[in-house]
Amino acid sequence: MRTHHTRQAAQGKTLCTQLFVALETAVLERVDQTDTFLLQGTVPAWWPSIFGTTTPPSTVQPGERSPFLKQFFTEAEQSWARHAAGLVRSGPWTERDQHGTTLHLEATALLVNSRQLLLVARLGADFEQARATLQQAREQALRHAQTTKLQTRNESRLTSQLSQSEELRDDLLGVLQGLGLATILTDGQGRITFISDEAAGLLNLSTDRTGQRWEQVLSCSKKDRDAISTRLRSPAEQHDPLTLHLETGNPRWLDVTVSPHPRHNEKRILLFHDTTEIHDLRRLLDEKARFHDLVGSSPSMMQVYQLVRDIARVEATVLIEGETGTGKELIARAIHCSSSRKQGPFIAANCAGFTDSLLGSQLFGHKRGAFTGAVGDQAGLFESADGGTVFLDEIGDIPLNVQTSLLRVLQEKEVTRLGEAKPRKVNVRILAATHHNLNEDIVRGTFRTDLLYRIRVARIQLPPLRDRRDDIPLLASAFLGQIRAAMGKGVDQISPDALRLLLSYAWPGNVRELKSAIEFAAIGCKGQRITATDLPPEITRSQSHTPLSTWMPPSTSHDERAQLLRALNQASGNRSEAAKLLGMSRATLYRRLANHRIDIPR
Amino acid sequence: MMHKKICMLGGFAVGKTSLVRRFVTNLFSEQYHTTIGVTVEKKSVSVAGEDVTLMLWDLYGDDEFQRIRESYLRGSSGYILVVDGTRKETLATALDLQRTVEGLLGPIPFALIVNKSDVRDVWEIDDAALSELRQQGWTIFFGSAKTGEGVEAIFSALAHRLLQQTT
Ligand SMILES: Nc1nc2c(ncn2[C@@H]2O[C@H](COP(=O)(O)OP(=O)(O)OP(=O)(O)O)[C@@H](O)[C@H]2O)c(=O)[nH]1
Ligand SMILES: [Mg+2]
Repeated sequence: MRTHHTRQAAQGKTLCTQLFVALETAVLERVDQTDTFLLQGTVPAWWPSIFGTTTPPSTVQPGERSPFLKQFFTEAEQSWARHAAGLVRSGPWTERDQHGTTLHLEATALLVNSRQLLLVARLGADFEQARATLQQAREQALRHAQTTKLQTRNESRLTSQLSQSEELRDDLLGVLQGLGLATILTDGQGRITFISDEAAGLLNLSTDRTGQRWEQVLSCSKKDRDAISTRLRSPAEQHDPLTLHLETGNPRWLDVTVSPHPRHNEKRILLFHDTTEIHDLRRLLDEKARFHDLVGSSPSMMQVYQLVRDIARVEATVLIEGETGTGKELIARAIHCSSSRKQGPFIAANCAGFTDSLLGSQLFGHKRGAFTGAVGDQAGLFESADGGTVFLDEIGDIPLNVQTSLLRVLQEKEVTRLGEAKPRKVNVRILAATHHNLNEDIVRGTFRTDLLYRIRVARIQLPPLRDRRDDIPLLASAFLGQIRAAMGKGVDQISPDALRLLLSYAWPGNVRELKSAIEFAAIGCKGQRITATDLPPEITRSQSHTPLSTWMPPSTSHDERAQLLRALNQASGNRSEAAKLLGMSRATLYRRLANHRIDIPR
Repeated sequence: MMHKKICMLGGFAVGKTSLVRRFVTNLFSEQYHTTIGVTVEKKSVSVAGEDVTLMLWDLYGDDEFQRIRESYLRGSSGYILVVDGTRKETLATALDLQRTVEGLLGPIPFALIVNKSDVRDVWEIDDAALSELRQQGWTIFFGSAKTGEGVEAIFSALAHRLLQQTT
């Protein structure tokens, strides 16, 4: 029994030793109350690498080697001193051996039969696994924090970018609205994505129309809509605007330009300009610049128009003076048409180039057999014009005896047909015109003074074209319009060069010459636009005499002097030629030459 | 020779081990190897002509898995609170730890280092958050275990304080 127990005890001792070896645990027993411990049992394999070679039962001072253990003793000591039952654990710590290899250890202090024991265990696989799990958990926590942080940072960056671009957008919108630009933005489907306040105002839109199609906000003709549609489909920018007529309650004229969006190919920007005012003004100007068939808005023409209006109101005989081609007959017609006689006939007669009797019979009529060739009774122009107006052009050319008869008509308001004795009452208004200076004709004895005073009750002097050059562009484009309509040719522009020539030319033949020059050019013109080379040679040639830089506004005396010199130069000093070129009589030319102290040896 | 125990305290992965390693061996590793329990490192320094061995107790990072053990702290002359500049929450952890330690050990010297100053562009902790602590008299450093910036400075500053206390 005893031997059995002894054997069992011995076996138990070996078992314990084996157990500690298996647990890689060193067993130390404190020697007295010192820092020295006695190593018990078998030393675990790891021990020497940290604490040096020791074979039991030698003594060690592990606190010398391990500060951690040293501190743990203090804790253990307190527990031992209290004779407390139970274990005191150090918690894990790490030591490094002389090779740098780390070992994870844990110490346990306990009291067994008043023996103060210290177990130092190496933490093995379980510990490593726990450590690995913890490490994983922490790494994951770090990664998670990292991604969250990135997300938050991205989010806040995007948010700030968004708010920045929103701010920028609001700024630009503010600028756009501030500039008062009428704009519409459309997407690839023609749906409106933006309308500026100005555009909404122009188009009479009271509600927000974004999302609708552009056609729904533009109430214009189908033709206009088709034109816009074509522009919208075109990817290229077109600079010339389309003109639209809005047919809403508040009709407007709008110019529209369609541009592609700078970044999105399919989007379009429509920019509207209200041109209603311009249209109205142009119409007004047109109305002002045109008086019956007369064209011109220069101050001198404005004066003429006013004079015509004033004269039309009265029944007075009028003498219209002006160089050839200045439009004297048009003035006469304008007077007639503005007068109370406008319902009556307007009969024009050119008095130049007739024989006495022919002119007399034309004007006053004749009785059958009154002269050879008078085969029947014939009423004259005055009779035919009864209730209306007779316009006698080139009145200076009327032979003296016809002048006498004319005086009768003016004085008595009656005509006597040639070959008849009994006068007939006529109710006509006489308008006369001349390109002569009738005063000079009187001096010369070819014109009756009393007739002149009868005729010249009222007087309209038409300025030569060179004295109203401002009207040249207006006249030119008016003629071009007429010619275009007549010829069906698409010429509708005049090049700046051609216009400059037209402006600087002397126009001896006045408006009539300008008209035929434009006709000439339009016939010769190849394209849409009249160029300098299309103009008649006398105008093109005149360029050399009129350097553009020295062109001066008309009606200054400097300009007149230059014109005189130019004409003389062109006519190689021949005054009659020069007078013809300038569209004035020789007498006028002499007077003007004298005024300007231009002296030419004969 | 005089020995002084200094504990490295702070949240996990703030760089406690890295700072100690930089200070002791002048090395740095990008790899993260979490500390379990304690590793004690020694470094002798000379403070105002006096040699002193700093016993640096590199403790595990405090989090919900491992709470700081009172026994590890005992016997400390001072401690260093480590904060990761890129993680705001580690400052809160450091403040908690400071309260705990002061409760256990009383008002012993300590300093705070905001680590990882090499990646300041991603820092979440700014001066504003720290200025209040500075006003309370805290010693605060910015540094980096990676570049070594501020490492010598914080240990030497704390060592000076410890020696001042002894004398
Ligand atoms: N960029 C940068 N990384 C650092 C710095 N200091 C430490 N790290 C990195 O941060 C991670 C954690 O470093 P450790 O020193 O292990 O941190 P710890 O505070 O000891 O961590 P625990 O022991 O788990 O509490 C590692 O990947 C280090 O490389 C630094 O100054 N800059
Ligand atoms: Mg660590």
